[in-house]
Amino acid sequence: MDPRRAETGKNSDQIQSGHVYHLALDIGGSLAKLVYFTKNDEHIVGNEKKKSPLKASGISNSSRNSPVLNGRLNFKKFETSKINDCLEFINSMKLHLGGCQQPESPGSQTITIKATGGGAYKYADLFKEKFGISLDKEDEMDCLVAGANFLLETIHQEAFTYMGNQKQFVWIDKNDLYPYLLVNIGSGVGMIKVEGDGKFERVSGTSIGGGTFWGLGKLLTKCKSFDELLDLSYRGNNRAVDMLVGDIYGGMDYSKIGLSSTTIASSFGRAISENKERDDYKPEDIARSLLRMISNNIGQISYLTALRFGLKRIFFGGFFIRRHPFTMDTLSVAVNFWSKGEAKAMFLQHEGFLGAVGAFMSSDKHGLKELLANQKVERPPSKLSFSLDQTQVPQQDGELNGDESIECSVYGA
Amino acid sequence: MATKGSNSIHRSSSRPLLDLSKAEIQGNVEEKYPTILLPNQSDDLSHLALDIGGSLIKLVYFSRHEDQSTNDKRMKILKDKLGILNGNRRSYPILGGRLHFVKFETNKINECLEFIYSKKLHCGGWESHHSDSTNDQNAVIKATGGGAFKFADLFKERLGISLDKEDEMDCLVAGANFLLKAIRHEAYTHMEGQKEFIQIDPNDLFPYLLVNIGSGVSMIKVDGNGKFERVSGTNVGGGTYWGLGRLLTNCSSFDELLELSQKGDNRTTDMLVGDIYGTDYPKIGLSASTIASSFGKATLENKELEEYRPEDISLSLLRMISYNIGQISYLNALRFGLKRIFFGGFFIRGHAYTMDAISFAVHFWSKGTAQAMFLRHEGFLGALGAFMSYEKHGLDDLMVHQFVERFPMGAPYTGGKIHGPPLRNLNEKASLENISWMEKFLQKGTEITAPVPMTPPGTTGLGGFEVPLSKGSTLRSDASALNVGVLHLIPTLEVFPLLVDPKMYEPNTVDLSDHSELEYWLTILSEHLPDLVDKAVASEGGTDDSKRRGDAFARAFSAHLARLMEEPAAYGKLGLANLLEMREECLREFQFVDAYRSIKQRENEASLAVLHDLLMELDSLDEETRLLTLIEGVLAANIFDWGSRACVDLYHKGTIIEIYRMSRNKMQRPWRVDDFDAFKERMLGSGDKKPLPHGRALLFVDNSGADIVLGMLPLARELLRRGTEVVLVGNSLPALNDVTAMELPDIVAEAAKHCDILRRAAESGGLLVDAMTNTLDGSKEKLPSVALMVVENGCGSPCIDFRQVSSELAAAAKDADLIILEGMGRSLHTNLYAQFKCDALKLAMVKNQRLAEKLVQGNIYDCVCKYEPAY
Repeated sequence: MDPRRAETGKNSDQIQSGHVYHLALDIGGSLAKLVYFTKNDEHIVGNEKKKSPLKASGISNSSRNSPVLNGRLNFKKFETSKINDCLEFINSMKLHLGGCQQPESPGSQTITIKATGGGAYKYADLFKEKFGISLDKEDEMDCLVAGANFLLETIHQEAFTYMGNQKQFVWIDKNDLYPYLLVNIGSGVGMIKVEGDGKFERVSGTSIGGGTFWGLGKLLTKCKSFDELLDLSYRGNNRAVDMLVGDIYGGMDYSKIGLSSTTIASSFGRAISENKERDDYKPEDIARSLLRMISNNIGQISYLTALRFGLKRIFFGGFFIRRHPFTMDTLSVAVNFWSKGEAKAMFLQHEGFLGAVGAFMSSDKHGLKELLANQKVERPPSKLSFSLDQTQVPQQDGELNGDESIECSVYGA
Repeated sequence: MATKGSNSIHRSSSRPLLDLSKAEIQGNVEEKYPTILLPNQSDDLSHLALDIGGSLIKLVYFSRHEDQSTNDKRMKILKDKLGILNGNRRSYPILGGRLHFVKFETNKINECLEFIYSKKLHCGGWESHHSDSTNDQNAVIKATGGGAFKFADLFKERLGISLDKEDEMDCLVAGANFLLKAIRHEAYTHMEGQKEFIQIDPNDLFPYLLVNIGSGVSMIKVDGNGKFERVSGTNVGGGTYWGLGRLLTNCSSFDELLELSQKGDNRTTDMLVGDIYGTDYPKIGLSASTIASSFGKATLENKELEEYRPEDISLSLLRMISYNIGQISYLNALRFGLKRIFFGGFFIRGHAYTMDAISFAVHFWSKGTAQAMFLRHEGFLGALGAFMSYEKHGLDDLMVHQFVERFPMGAPYTGGKIHGPPLRNLNEKASLENISWMEKFLQKGTEITAPVPMTPPGTTGLGGFEVPLSKGSTLRSDASALNVGVLHLIPTLEVFPLLVDPKMYEPNTVDLSDHSELEYWLTILSEHLPDLVDKAVASEGGTDDSKRRGDAFARAFSAHLARLMEEPAAYGKLGLANLLEMREECLREFQFVDAYRSIKQRENEASLAVLHDLLMELDSLDEETRLLTLIEGVLAANIFDWGSRACVDLYHKGTIIEIYRMSRNKMQRPWRVDDFDAFKERMLGSGDKKPLPHGRALLFVDNSGADIVLGMLPLARELLRRGTEVVLVGNSLPALNDVTAMELPDIVAEAAKHCDILRRAAESGGLLVDAMTNTLDGSKEKLPSVALMVVENGCGSPCIDFRQVSSELAAAAKDADLIILEGMGRSLHTNLYAQFKCDALKLAMVKNQRLAEKLVQGNIYDCVCKYEPAY
């Protein structure tokens, strides 16, 4: 591993060692995600050098007169409630001195940053007032898909399956990626059929999503945070509240219809038959039952939707997942169950940054994708240079704890 | 003494429910309830099946003979008539039976056991005077549902019966298949509070998806009888709603929780698209009020559970679960290419709100290409299926046209809803039970509700994900639940063979789903009620008993009307014909056998007295004038209709003959609908061309008195004279002052005294077996005559539904090439637009202003003479 990659991190001073060129934001309800590019000075590559591969791939670079810069794509997140930290961070990068000036008005001090997520509206005034930064709002779903497409096409170990605590990376042939189903589990669930770059459609969804888990969980337990609720769920046992097939059929499997006695027949179905109050149930059990109910349901509807549109793969993302192993596990089990083992739930390594990456991509001036496409021509996929630089991610906390970066090149603006 | 149905033209192609070969009535027919011995009927035929669920026990049982609500008096009258008819014709009702649907709360299982015991359902269901012991031992009753295991010992102990457990899903599917095949308009859609009944072609039923929403949800793909597979399901079901609901609110029952939802506003708990985007998200076709995240709003606020309204929580839960089930069901139907989705289970069970929510979801996710459907007998699927699992139940072969559904008021257990006190004195003889409920009914007269609970219409205007605009203040917890009547199985009913297209045939011309129309007719019936009660009471000599029953009838029928007013779909798809029949059934239920008996007799006598003069007058006319005069006569005489308010008023002003003459004088052509010339052309031809007379004419007669005697009989005589065989078609059971098939032979016999043509034809038709011994004249001509016959039509209503007629009428129709429908009920309220394979003449005087305006753009007392050559 390249030791330099450890440089990127929480310390903003380190950022300044590189040159920040591009930045994009995804401001969600709970987290604000940043994606930005830093240049490594010693890796500046002249435009001449890059010409030939572009030509080789048949792509005209006539519009590209800028130098190609080698550097890193950095990922960073802030809690939305601490949006000022985020602003400070952006300010510290001296973006107004960087590459984000409007090309058409070089002298102007107006800086425009691509942004997506609900907060892009909500905090627009704040950005403007404080730093004179105007947020250029990109459609959330466009960004999501663009981000996913980019990551799946270019990052080597991006997709993985997760079953029974086993994480397994899946290599996906870029030419055999489409069409796929992207299931974004935020507060609600959007299911998007993706057929190519910019070619996608929201084909389904469900209102039973992360918001339902957290909302109901909050009402039913005394949890103060989503993560706390998740933690609880790991320790719970859903047998206490769920009605299992065995509860109905006296412990025997209802083998006639292929259900084992531990299959959940009715989520929370046990809460009806006993004369118990809410306080008589352990919050852990309730959290567990909720999580399984919601994951199961999303898995089922996703599978049915994929089937309906003949989609080979289902990728799950969104804050509900965010690499929480147990959530991933239940989703995987659901997809496996409903598809009778024929389909597998897949997850994305950079899933939390789909929107931000998509927003980053939405400005075509950095030509990241183009470059990457050509890099791929040069190197075998297994040795793609965009390896992950990831600070350690504890399994218990799904969200990326720290930040990470990917080495890559962009055109200088 | 053996009695066999041996009418010359009787024929039955339908397979009997029971093995009737060598059936005979045991003992003296004078005995009150002669036992019918069916030597070839196997003993194991059982009459009861159970579905014992967690909250309700559902019974389906079959009673084989006429309900014993017939009291002594009625039996006596019937017997009198049978005596007169000399057993030549079948008596009504024909051997068939009734399928009863009854439910009990599972925690009151003792009531259920007592009921079974009192009805002797555990030993075959009918009193077997002659073979007592055999059935009582080791009786096996089919049962399904979780409780079939749980309560097996109890049944064994208390009733000595073993429960034979049938697989739940097998039963569910068998029950659904049976209902969808055999019951007309069993399926319905439910959108924004409106029910719409749907007739599904039984040949185009499979494959379908059956979604059973109990605690969990099972989705079953049904490919045919016994051919099905559980293809999917979800663990988010009724148990989830109730379980989460209990944890989140303080509701103590499912129904309470559901009721709460109707006062809820889910915007306080759900995160809507508008909450996220501040507006619609048109790019993906979501409106601002679309639920983005169920309970998502709770994540944004720091509120305790207690700060949320339980109503809002309940609504949010209801929508979350209903929409989810609707979505997954639709996806599965799509996956397996299933045309229809039927929803059932306790979560549905007639709950208007859950039906609306699920319908909305299916509509939403399918973008309007699919509809959620529900079944009227849905709560009894399992019990019916268990019933079907008997090897010999005979129901498989029954067809739609062999079922008649009725909604008795009194029997406390029928109709699905337990609304009366349970029977007391259960050890009394079964024959007294009906008296027992009647007494209860009379005592509790002021508390009468129709057999099914009421729910105000249009209270479930779920505009989709949006909050309903109008919300009902009250929801009966089991609103329209198990909303079913007693199914009468009449194996001899057949489809009238002369209908051009039985599938497209719709008897009713008045669509009662139009609310103003329904309101009008309900008002008419309501206004007519006091007069009807007077007649009914008078028909039984005005005894105290009859007064009490008259009173009870009035209240009961008013309750039916009130219920219909509130929920037009309460009794399934209802046409005016059904409404009128319901009135007659209700009368019979309160043991009024024939409310107009004395009036009919008096009018018949008065009319017969002048018949001779009329016939003389007719015979003096030339053929063409005579035909016109005859048709005029039918139309004029049709004024005597006690079903018409206007005519009832008229009667108080003059004698029958005066009115008849007045009515005839008013006949001025052209009539409002006047095809007389075409009819005359067919009958008499033009110029030298003499057409062949018809071979056989079916005359559907209407009222007693002048109508039959001075109208239809002379017309029949004319046809007979021209060499056309005539079959008079009368009602099987009395309805208002309509002449019944049982009364017709008497009238014909009396008329025959004045007329040789009628006499010879009646003799030839076997109508005068008795009368012949009275005629002394030996100068009987040896000339063979075309026959005059009488058949019953199979109904007890002033209207006729040609999808369900008696087998003898169907048989008589085989050779008929002319049918004449007379009177408002049979040719205007129903059948005005019916098309027949033979020539058809529809004659009626319109005695209702609204109907006149609606159907013929005319006025009251306008006449209709509609002639249509064979299609």
